[in-house]
Amino acid sequence: MACARGDRTALQQLYQRESRYLMGVAMRIVRQRPQAEDVLHDAFISIWQRAESFNPALGEGRGWVYSVVRHAALNMVRNGARQVSLDEDAAVAVDDQASLAAYAEAGDPFELRADLGRLHGCLSGLEPARRDCILYAYVEGCSHGEIAERLQTPLGTVKAWIQRGMRALRECMG
Amino acid sequence: MSSAEDNKDIGDVNDIDGLAGEYVLGTLSATGRAAVEVRMRSEPALREAVRAWEARLQPLTALAEPSEPSPWLWRRIERSVDGLGKASKAQAAGVADWWNNLKLWRGLAAGGFATAALLLAVVVTRVAAPPATQYMVVLVAPENKSPGWVIQANSSRQLNLVPLGTFEVPPQKTLQFWTKADQWRGPVSLGLVKQQGQTLRIPIDKLPPLEPNQLFELTLEPENGSPLDRPTGPIQFIGRAVKVM
Repeated sequence: MACARGDRTALQQLYQRESRYLMGVAMRIVRQRPQAEDVLHDAFISIWQRAESFNPALGEGRGWVYSVVRHAALNMVRNGARQVSLDEDAAVAVDDQASLAAYAEAGDPFELRADLGRLHGCLSGLEPARRDCILYAYVEGCSHGEIAERLQTPLGTVKAWIQRGMRALRECMG
Repeated sequence: MSSAEDNKDIGDVNDIDGLAGEYVLGTLSATGRAAVEVRMRSEPALREAVRAWEARLQPLTALAEPSEPSPWLWRRIERSVDGLGKASKAQAAGVADWWNNLKLWRGLAAGGFATAALLLAVVVTRVAAPPATQYMVVLVAPENKSPGWVIQANSSRQLNLVPLGTFEVPPQKTLQFWTKADQWRGPVSLGLVKQQGQTLRIPIDKLPPLEPNQLFELTLEPENGSPLDRPTGPIQFIGRAVKVM
């Protein structure tokens, strides 16, 4: 990556090429435009400073930039602003299968696109409820509690769905 | 979020892959996230597991609709990058007493993450600190990385915990100060922070010498401190020692 050499033009080119996509990623997680711009600002400063330690051998530069932005956005929302509290005790006694069945009737909020490559196949293989938990978390930055609220499903069930879903993804993708 | 919840987040240290997955997915609490970020620095296996999860899930970023940032955002980023350049030039010009300049640190606390990251980078790479100073630690809030305290260790006998602002402690609670070097089996309490807004001087002659990367944290504990030999409450501020000699 050219900005590893402290090249300001490279940083600007990166911004021009990716900022609308990065802004989209940040907006979905933090929800508010000014906060999303703060995330992008901090992320680009961080990219500028950390580019020296960035190792292209460990993956694509583009992917790294998206990770920096996502984690900056996640750190912002995890400071409590968007957290909901649920009674965790009430959440544990659940019939997992009944919840899955009820969920299957409610329809699918995420439309999977074919350009996800291998991930598409692996996600398609998951129970829709487990898949949506993973998408709500990754794309929307939802906490366990927020997902439980959205899906009207107990917290313990959501945690279990995510754990199993992630294990299945891992097996499928290697 | 309760501390029990936080501890559960980061409880199973053996499930590296599960922890890495939930970190990348974004479902960990602020404390859980900070703990993973701290552990990644010293645990290559965790770092590798996080990298692998980032690569697996990254195509999902395409599900977010693009959104044009406002036209002045790039100008703002440019100004900040310019500011960084100036700051490092000033450092290179031989400003040696920045270390003792609390006004600077307080400004930093107000300036937030970008400046904090700048100063840390400067500290690590190019500062000629006063000869007596060996280590420094900036303790930051895990959720937004804003610096709250600076630790100065001028000798192996004493360290100073310097507040950069005031921190509201809930009733019947107190801040407890902890440290742990990489090889230690558990954290060691350095005592309670009873007086707000004052520098705390702590003798450390009974501890092994400070090490680079040694972990320091302030946790929120019951009034008389943690009932156990380790933190029981949430981390309020956390940082690692950087050698500046």
